Amino acid sequence: MTASGIGGSSTVCPDEPDTAPVAAGSPGQGTRVVAEARWPEAGDDGPAPGVPGFVSSQFAPVVVAAAERCLGRGYGIAGVPAGLRTAIVLVSASGDRTSAEHVRATVEAGGRIGPLFFFQSVPNSVAGHLAARWGLRGPVVCLSPTGDPYAEGTAEADLLRYDGDADEVLLILIEQAPDASTEAVAVLLGGEGRP
Amino acid sequence: MAEPRVTQLTGVHAVSALGRGAEAQIAGVLAGVPAFGAVRRFDTAARRVTVAATLPEVGTLADELAAAIEAACRAAGLAGAQRDQCGLLLAVHGGPAPGAGPTPGALAGQLAAACGLSGHTRVYTSACVSASTAVADAAALIARGDVDRVVVAAGYLVEPDQFALFDAGRALAVDGAVRPFSAHRRGLLLGDGVAAVVLESGDGRRGVEPLATVVGWGRAGDAFHPCQPDPTGTGLARAVDAALRRAALPPQAVGYVNANATGTPQSDAAEAAALRRALGAHAARVPVSSTKSVHGHALEASGLLELVVTALALRHGELPVNAGWLAPDEACPLDVITDHPRPATTTHALTLNSAFGGANTALLVGAP
Repeated sequence: MTASGIGGSSTVCPDEPDTAPVAAGSPGQGTRVVAEARWPEAGDDGPAPGVPGFVSSQFAPVVVAAAERCLGRGYGIAGVPAGLRTAIVLVSASGDRTSAEHVRATVEAGGRIGPLFFFQSVPNSVAGHLAARWGLRGPVVCLSPTGDPYAEGTAEADLLRYDGDADEVLLILIEQAPDASTEAVAVLLGGEGRP
Repeated sequence: MAEPRVTQLTGVHAVSALGRGAEAQIAGVLAGVPAFGAVRRFDTAARRVTVAATLPEVGTLADELAAAIEAACRAAGLAGAQRDQCGLLLAVHGGPAPGAGPTPGALAGQLAAACGLSGHTRVYTSACVSASTAVADAAALIARGDVDRVVVAAGYLVEPDQFALFDAGRALAVDGAVRPFSAHRRGLLLGDGVAAVVLESGDGRRGVEPLATVVGWGRAGDAFHPCQPDPTGTGLARAVDAALRRAALPPQAVGYVNANATGTPQSDAAEAAALRRALGAHAARVPVSSTKSVHGHALEASGLLELVVTALALRHGELPVNAGWLAPDEACPLDVITDHPRPATTTHALTLNSAFGGANTALLVGAP
């Protein structure tokens, strides 16, 4: 499985599960890909730039790098049009594995954790960082995939748009494997009317 | 255009430090005695705060979730055939599982298989709005006609990693009490919470008497800060607006609010601002409490535990107490239920949740 429909292979692809995800499939009728981006892309050497308030892990930097590249391609320098509600759907099986493993090891050793790890302990936090910088006023939804992450993310995006809480959706797929670099895909989904 | 399908709550089950079963929850929140005590499940010697609301005997999260789903399905009268094609939306903490535990995605598959739910699965890891977002999505899936029946389950059992993180972030109440909307509130305390509910389209084909209906729901973002709430409450107010709009009800129809209020100074004030923004002058008159003051904050499961409590309060006819109250805070000009439960004279109640990332949800519950 790859992040189908957006080209190329990716590590954002957990093993196939025992059960099917809700409404798996491509973006629904009426939904179109407005923009897409990855981290890394050609020319991206070295780690993603740091994000203020986030430490130790490449999870937040890679999410922000892919997402801001996608938002820039979708909305340009003018930013999000007034009145548009853009949701964030972040799909990740691993979550911020680096931070979680640091916390677990520190706790098991009887130590104290730095307070910044509290603020980055859930994927909502980096989504909130993006929402604040770009004025994304739609829902924030984080999923751990039970099947194809892209299909699950687009199904959730379709539901939020159909249901009326979002006009457009920034879908982010990110995985941190223990022995591979952190990678992310971001897709801005929109379209006329309800999907 | 056809009328949207109504979502009914036909079976519920919940477990917290208040006890096992839905009735234990409503009895506990009406008694209003906080369930916080010294944590004995793991070592807290290195922490500033050492209390939480925990069950004395508890199984693994997977076992507790399986038991809750089974109990909710039985309460809804779902036999084997009726569980066929029934989906499972699960709300749990994301990321690597502790020890040899299953990943969230694998856990959902195992739970569905164990409980005979052969429909689709989805796992929500949106911090403290995980479960409430799952309920909103379930209602939307039913309303859209995708499914007739969905089980939503959620669980958090107090464990050392999240406890240490909340302690490090100075989010826990150093005075050992949760005091939502009160002057001198010092923060939140964690609590066990495992819950499951069966949501069904209200077409009456099964002839089951519902406990409540989910008549409206809303989800909206603050676009303000990674972790702090928008002090104007604009995002949460938009979630409430959306819930009322879906239900085609005015603010005056809301007769009780089970608030998100965690006992955190800035968050409770932001929620009060949101209620004023969404409900107008009615915000000062509607009875409000936060049952987290009694059962603690169950993180990813909080929205489902609080939905169960809110639905049962409407059914029972009494509104839960906001425990830990010391004195009014001018930043929270609300009609907070202190001292004793109040008679419920309403048919509609809001249950609200907010999370890191500026994520907000509102669920509007109706008496059947």
